[in-house]
Amino acid sequence: MAKPIIVNWQGKSSSFQLAKLDRSKLYGKRQRWVLDPEGKRCERAELMRDGSMLIRSGMTAQGYFDDDGTWIRNDQLVGLNEAGEPVEKVQSTLGAEQPLEGPLDPSDVLDVTVRSVYMLSPEELDDALKERLLAGDVFRCAFNYRADFNAETALLLVNDDGYFALVGDPLETRWFELAVAVNETDDDAADDDDELDFEMF
Amino acid sequence: MRKIHLMNEASRDATVAIDNVRALVKPALGLPGKTLSFRRYVAATEDRLDAAMVAAHGEGYAQALIDGDPEIDLEIEGRFIDDTAPVYLAASGEVLHVSPHLVDVVFGPDGAERERKDATNTPGNVNDETPIRWTGRKLPRRDAIRRFAFRRTVALTHLDGLTHDFLFAMAEQLAKEDALVMVGGGAKGKEPLIFQENGSPYRGFLEGRVDGTRYKLLLHLSNLELRVPDADKA
Repeated sequence: MAKPIIVNWQGKSSSFQLAKLDRSKLYGKRQRWVLDPEGKRCERAELMRDGSMLIRSGMTAQGYFDDDGTWIRNDQLVGLNEAGEPVEKVQSTLGAEQPLEGPLDPSDVLDVTVRSVYMLSPEELDDALKERLLAGDVFRCAFNYRADFNAETALLLVNDDGYFALVGDPLETRWFELAVAVNETDDDAADDDDELDFEMF
Repeated sequence: MRKIHLMNEASRDATVAIDNVRALVKPALGLPGKTLSFRRYVAATEDRLDAAMVAAHGEGYAQALIDGDPEIDLEIEGRFIDDTAPVYLAASGEVLHVSPHLVDVVFGPDGAERERKDATNTPGNVNDETPIRWTGRKLPRRDAIRRFAFRRTVALTHLDGLTHDFLFAMAEQLAKEDALVMVGGGAKGKEPLIFQENGSPYRGFLEGRVDGTRYKLLLHLSNLELRVPDADKA
């Protein structure tokens, strides 16, 4: 069993066990199968462009290599920000108390693209937080299933079906407006002439 | 530029642009000051996969791995894989030289097969002759965020002055109502949105925000309701 989500709101701690919500358990799933002439399932494979090798499932791996073609072990890799500077490793948030922010404006919730959904079972739930959640408020905290270089955002909410944590990344949405492209006209007395000049044709 | 054909509440339609909304940039894996590339390589040859190893050394071939590295083909392993062509292998393991038969298999939530039929291509429907239209279903934003998981968001943006006014009015109306409106494809607006051929179907919800002369008209996409599967309720 995974460690719980533990949050702190207004100095009170609450914890939840979590189980991933799998879309196929709600709706089932559709798969496209490829069948051979005998009606049996085919295996997808790859052929090197030079025809030298047939690559089947289980024959490949992937990794980071430097310019010399030397493989870099995963434990040597670090997180780099946009400037190429190392960032600190973020430990798993499971089992570690996280400050809870909120209640959130609906725009803040809609500005998160949801990657995973977890069904939550409260183990220990502060009364004040429960009251706010049941009233429809949404809260957020940092979430990191396993240690890496980036913490995601978890949105904590309740509906008629239960408690949920929606985990995802904040989005950058931008404003749009009409570009005003009005050219200044010369303040020429001739332009004020209402006469239409057909002689120019 | 991708486009969407959209109809408003008053049944006026226009074709507008889709602007991708991206997540904030995350740290990338690497080494400071070094340029790294992420590449695929051959990790095992076909005659060194598990089934072949079992055939050659028996089920418990761990000791054989320690003693002699029989799983490694030094000539081929580590070779980078850059350019390949997809092929299908028949159940016999031979490369298929005829067109395969494609079927769509539908499984229920219990994992049991429900339906099997010849595969058909489903065309995209967001930039179709029939516009995406507002349904009669509006949800207060506060309720919508607790009913659906929004997996993708795109922004709709104008192409000219007329489409600016069209979208701005829509955003302004939705912002005032503090609601999301469900939009759908097809003649009655009941079909899910499909952005490209055989793409994933989504339910679409339009949200509007306005700040002075600026607007955001966001199309939030969901394929997941926030509810507990029946199997987990039992």
